[in-house]
Amino acid sequence: MKTRFLLVLTLGLFALSSPAHALTGSVKLDGAAPAPETISADADPTCKAVHPDGITNDQVIVGANGELKNVFVYVKEGVTGKFEAPKESVVFDQKGCQYSPKVFGIQTGQTLEIVNSDSTLHNVHALPKNSKEFNLGMPVQNMKLKKKFDKPEVMVKIKCEVHPWMGAWAGVLDHPFFAVSGDDGKFDIKNLPPGQYVIEAWHEKYGTQTQNVTVTDQPQDITFTFKAA
Amino acid sequence: MKPTLLHRYATFVTAMTGILIFAGGLVTSTNSGLSVPDWPLSYGTAFPPMIGGIRFEHTHRLIAGTVGVLTLVLAIAVWRAESRRWMKGLGLAALLAVVAQAVLGGLTVIYLLPAWISVTHACLAQTFFSLVASIALFTSNEWREGRVEPCEYAGSLRRLLITTTAFAWLQLVAGAIVRHTGRGLRWHFALAFLIALHILFIVLKSARDKSTRERLFPHAVLLGGLVTTQIFLGFGSFIFTRMLKAEIPTTGEVLFTTAHQTLGAMILAGTALLALRSYRLLAAPPSASRSAVPARGSLV
Repeated sequence: MKTRFLLVLTLGLFALSSPAHALTGSVKLDGAAPAPETISADADPTCKAVHPDGITNDQVIVGANGELKNVFVYVKEGVTGKFEAPKESVVFDQKGCQYSPKVFGIQTGQTLEIVNSDSTLHNVHALPKNSKEFNLGMPVQNMKLKKKFDKPEVMVKIKCEVHPWMGAWAGVLDHPFFAVSGDDGKFDIKNLPPGQYVIEAWHEKYGTQTQNVTVTDQPQDITFTFKAA
Repeated sequence: MKPTLLHRYATFVTAMTGILIFAGGLVTSTNSGLSVPDWPLSYGTAFPPMIGGIRFEHTHRLIAGTVGVLTLVLAIAVWRAESRRWMKGLGLAALLAVVAQAVLGGLTVIYLLPAWISVTHACLAQTFFSLVASIALFTSNEWREGRVEPCEYAGSLRRLLITTTAFAWLQLVAGAIVRHTGRGLRWHFALAFLIALHILFIVLKSARDKSTRERLFPHAVLLGGLVTTQIFLGFGSFIFTRMLKAEIPTTGEVLFTTAHQTLGAMILAGTALLALRSYRLLAAPPSASRSAVPARGSLV
């Protein structure tokens, strides 16, 4: 009995001390980014007050050294097992007549909390092909609504027909191994078990790229480079 | 209601329906169809803030409501003023069509723009426009009192006009499919060619004889002008939607596509009215009247 207890304790401690296998990387844009377009916000006085000179198209956001933001990076193939949806919600805000975040990942069955922080109204129209499409009116400031996606889908378009410049993308997966590149173009997919995977990077304008990656106990860093059209 | 007043009122309803079709076209062209997610109210109220896409969608709803009431009054007026039973039937048909159209409009919102409902909504809109325009024609002085003139090629002209009206209606279906699904552009082009060719024949034919030159020829020339303009608008719409493909529709795209759609409704109605007028104003010679072509005044 004592031996069995010590064995369980040892294994437990080993599991706790085992490093989380991180797959990190960065996304770059090779070439000049398109000149930012400005879209008039005159159609809504509230939006115009926030953006008197118009809203800059946020489809392509690139850093000084080509770091590409808002790229959804995820494990496309190689994940085994089932993963419970996290209890915490993904918060999706409408603020300053723009979506925040513009690109995000969410697990199937996980709650998407949609918030309207604006003093103007919005409609939130999600256009999944695999899950149920929805179009919700959010006429009141600080109003919150909750929705879920049932089936995996990369990517789901979300838009506002009141303000046609507002567009966002959700990567819906049945596992938690995904990330979105930040301002520095970097991403970090946490807790990925060792194994062989196909990693895909998706960008709204530049499409997709894939890489075969073998994850080991050692941290691994990969780079995706999209060519500017 | 006096016949003249009824005619003027029917003409007014036709004009309002034309404006409604233009407003509906703006909704589609600006992608504003789902900017108001509820129906029949808009964000739970009759008067939501008129911002962004709501300006187009809600304005369309307000005009549609107005046309609905106007059509109800028209149906009642026709029912009371008209002795012709088929005219009472037309008034009732217009009322049923406008109700069906409102339901289809609501369904497009509730079911998030399924293509077949949007296409049906578009087709019924323009068919309704032609129907109300026909009521205006049937209540006109020309229809009630117009003289009938013999025309040796009345039969062939009528056949040409009926065929062209059928093509124009099929073109409406093809155009609506292109607009709401992006498919069927070849059919749309093919029908455009056929209609243009037929209108050219109609213009030439109606210029041949004194009986048609005075009354039908100007109508045919007007149709020719509309079709020419329509081809120009069609190519413009093609360039904007298929070649330039802006993320957010530009003003040029919105105006071209909406004008193209509205002019399509006018061509359909114009062709149908010309066909009807050819039946009312022309008398086929005895040899022709023995054929399947109805003789003069068959709808009077």
